[in-house]
Amino acid sequence: MSDIQQILVPDVGGDEVEVIEICFAVGDTLEADEGIVTVETDKASMDIPAPVAGELTALNVAVGDKIKEGDLIGEMKVAGGSAEEAPAAEPEPAPVVETPAEPAPIAEAPAAAPVATGGSEVIDVVVPDIGEDGEVDVIDVLIAVGDEIAEEDGLITLETDKATMDVPSSHAGIVKEVLVATGDKVKQGSLVIKLETNSGAPAAIEQPAAPAPVAQAPKAEATTAPVEKKAAPVPHHPQSGVKSSGAIYTSPSIRRLAREFGVDLTLVKGTGNKNRILKEDVQSFVKYELSRPKASASNSVAGGSGGLQVVASKPVDFSKFGEIETKELSRIQKISGPFLHKNWVTIPHVTQFDEADITNVEAFRKEQNVVCEKQKLGFKITPLVFILKAAADALKTFPTFNSSLSEDGESLILKKYIHIGVAVDTPNGLVVPVVRDVDKKGIHELSRELLEISIKAREGKLKAADMQGGCFTISSLGGIGGTAFTPIVNAPEVAILGVSKSEMKPKWNGKDFEPKLMLPLSMSYDHRVIDGALAARFTVHLAGVMSDIRKLIL
Amino acid sequence: MSNEIKTQVVVLGAGPGGYSAAFRAADLGLDVVLVESRATLGGVCLNVGCIPSKALLHVAKVIDDAAAMASHGVTFGQPKIDLDKIRSWKEDVIGQLTGGLGGMSKARKVKTVTGFGKFTSDKTIEVEGADGKTTITFDNAIIACGSSVIDLPFIPNDDPRVIDSTGALELEDVPGEMLVLGGGIIGLEMGTVYSALGSNVSVVEFADQLVPAADKDIVKIYTNFNKKKFNIMLSTKVVAVDAKDDGLYVTFEGKNAPAEQVRYDKILVAVGRKPNGHLVAADKAGVNVDERGFINVSNELRTNVNNIFAIGDVVGQPMLAHKAVHEAHVAAEVIAGKKHVFDPRCIPSIAYTDPEMAWVGVTEREAKEQGLNIEVANFPWAASGRAIASARTEGKTKMIFEKETGRVLGGAIVGINAGEMLGEICLAVEMGADAEDVGLTIHAHPTLNESIGLAAEIFEGSITDLPNAKAVKKKK
Repeated sequence: MSDIQQILVPDVGGDEVEVIEICFAVGDTLEADEGIVTVETDKASMDIPAPVAGELTALNVAVGDKIKEGDLIGEMKVAGGSAEEAPAAEPEPAPVVETPAEPAPIAEAPAAAPVATGGSEVIDVVVPDIGEDGEVDVIDVLIAVGDEIAEEDGLITLETDKATMDVPSSHAGIVKEVLVATGDKVKQGSLVIKLETNSGAPAAIEQPAAPAPVAQAPKAEATTAPVEKKAAPVPHHPQSGVKSSGAIYTSPSIRRLAREFGVDLTLVKGTGNKNRILKEDVQSFVKYELSRPKASASNSVAGGSGGLQVVASKPVDFSKFGEIETKELSRIQKISGPFLHKNWVTIPHVTQFDEADITNVEAFRKEQNVVCEKQKLGFKITPLVFILKAAADALKTFPTFNSSLSEDGESLILKKYIHIGVAVDTPNGLVVPVVRDVDKKGIHELSRELLEISIKAREGKLKAADMQGGCFTISSLGGIGGTAFTPIVNAPEVAILGVSKSEMKPKWNGKDFEPKLMLPLSMSYDHRVIDGALAARFTVHLAGVMSDIRKLIL
Repeated sequence: MSNEIKTQVVVLGAGPGGYSAAFRAADLGLDVVLVESRATLGGVCLNVGCIPSKALLHVAKVIDDAAAMASHGVTFGQPKIDLDKIRSWKEDVIGQLTGGLGGMSKARKVKTVTGFGKFTSDKTIEVEGADGKTTITFDNAIIACGSSVIDLPFIPNDDPRVIDSTGALELEDVPGEMLVLGGGIIGLEMGTVYSALGSNVSVVEFADQLVPAADKDIVKIYTNFNKKKFNIMLSTKVVAVDAKDDGLYVTFEGKNAPAEQVRYDKILVAVGRKPNGHLVAADKAGVNVDERGFINVSNELRTNVNNIFAIGDVVGQPMLAHKAVHEAHVAAEVIAGKKHVFDPRCIPSIAYTDPEMAWVGVTEREAKEQGLNIEVANFPWAASGRAIASARTEGKTKMIFEKETGRVLGGAIVGINAGEMLGEICLAVEMGADAEDVGLTIHAHPTLNESIGLAAEIFEGSITDLPNAKAVKKKK
């Protein structure tokens, strides 16, 4: 009887996580739920627990390895086998019959966990979770058929709305087939390459390939299932020029409906039973495609829910008037352009101006920075951190500012968390990484985080997830200059705070003029959601907190 | 006398494709003229094809069934055959249907022009009729000119004893010795009729199986069942026919060829049909027709000329009325501005022989050629209560599933009423149903039709009417 149980990485809430500690060695006996390895995600570290009690018979990972959901960590010999045998000996007829031929699951097992076998296997490498629901463009293909690649080597470069990223190879091996090309659109689960793994290569598996996977109990098969499922959405990869209508799982009436709307059914995800494409799927696909901003000039003008009709501007031959040079917009500009335009024309903007007296907070900040340097903390506290804290406090006090309009415009979605976006100027253009849970973090923690984010942003290493989930945005031009400006609301947020350069100004204290360091604030807001009076109260509150940060602890 | 007509849509040919296109276009609000060389609507199908052959096959079936009753204790005696009466009954059937079409055409205000229509430009058709010429100026045309039987050059086609399917349906006499040249659907259907009426029928087929399009195992059941009825010569061809006063002397060549010439009273040539693309002067309209007479069309049924469409036999295989009708609807709808295309997953084929053979979707052979990963489930009718009660257990129901998903890719049935049962498999293929869907659909018992559900259960491993190969052995 098979009493060997595979240990697979459970849902770890992220795409890939790093193994930072191995808690047990092969041969150790452990209890169910005891942590075998510790992994670190971008949010936290966690233990991966033993699925059953027993003896650890194989361990396929090492410290520093990156693993993801479904990867094989190792194998366990189940303690007191009989307990585990029971379910195997009591087969439910239906599921067993559905996977009838024993060879099938065994042949598939290596694909799910190729490290456990000898010889070479051709496996599918798919796009992992990229933090985007829809499809993203492939802007570069980094490998070619025949290339020998190592695990983690970049395969293709993707461009999401906000960032570019490389898709790493899940395994080492030789590229047998490349299934995407530059310009294709892919999404999570799309097939990228077929890879022949030379299973000798991965360093992690020195122990002899255990015969265990061959003798898998039905239970072990069940645990490999999620991995196979991940590969399932492959047929949707859009670059296949051959549209085998037979591969599309839907009825003739839906095929006709799709034809009428010009929908390529290979791109539609079916939500029906067994992923059957339903009428609603075609409808929502059309809706999505219509609402999706397209990065073209004509669309940009015609876009917007009001169907803005603008007289087309005539092309001008500027070279008639002097020397010119044509420079392509940066990628970020091309992408953000239509968004900015849409926000500008669809949101009724009002900008509220105010000033905050930051004389005291600046004095405090400079004192603290001396302390930081003495303690070699490795970061400096910037004025922005205090603005973040003050904004978080204001958002808590005026929850309307921490909201979004529902899609139908009928209701307001209030958020119970405070994530604030910070606009960062980078060589490639403007990006807005999001600082999470600002209200729960201290000045030091925020300072460190801001430093990391801005480095990441400037190096172009921000992930899509780093730029999602914002409730409010701060755009600070204080380091450059200016007295005020009118920032554009970053929809679906409803307000944005612009900060200009602070200036020493004479302020009347009732007796005489006092020099005060004044910080100009320009807050644009969505007038559909926020009234003028409320906006004034918000900036007054914000300025009040900035002028005396003791209010933060009230 | 010369007439001039202007219309939005002209349809050339009033077979099932032609009249369907005309009626659909009319129902979509278009002004339609239908051109037909026959006096009645319905084309080959209604006048000299599908329908009259079914009338005669009905006669054959009752004769055969009555004879079979003898072994169940009911004896009717020798049938007396009155050919004139059979013929006139067949004509009644045709009359009823073509008359119905005429009425529907009037009700839809589709103008019919009788005569042979030919293009004179991409805007005009000239019809040569009994009462003079008619010039039709059209915005759009749908070519539905169909196909005609293929003649073989080495056969004395002028000899009245050499007939084609049309001649066979005329039922002039019941020949003593009859040779059917071509073991396809039409040849076997007519052979069935003449055999029931009393002819000794021989069938010669060049391929190594009858009805080469169908799967071997299906045809084999048919062939075995008809061993006594027909003298079947496979992998054999006719090389010469010598017309003498006392009969047609045929020389064969091939694997099962008789050494000597064989005398027949009649020869039915049923070796296939050729498209009529060359008969309508399509070149005058700028429409490309290939060497064999086919007209190439897009999935909107549009020819290379934007306002001219073509449907039915003339656009390609399979030459089947039901394919033409669906193409007709699409062509009419496209002309009416709808964004439709002809995009079926499957087109069913039926041989109304005894037993019937019916198949749809991929055959097992096609699946292998295409490298599809399939699993076949066969339900033998020996296990069907209804088949046993009808004393017709030779049949079987065969379903072809995609192995991984259980999706129904095709199916074939051989047995009585196979044709009537096929629709369920067509629907399953079109809907993308899988074995579970079909197996969980409750089929009435006892029916032949339930064999489809039972075949799905074989695939699913839930069958109880047969030993279950996928049954799970209980571990001790």
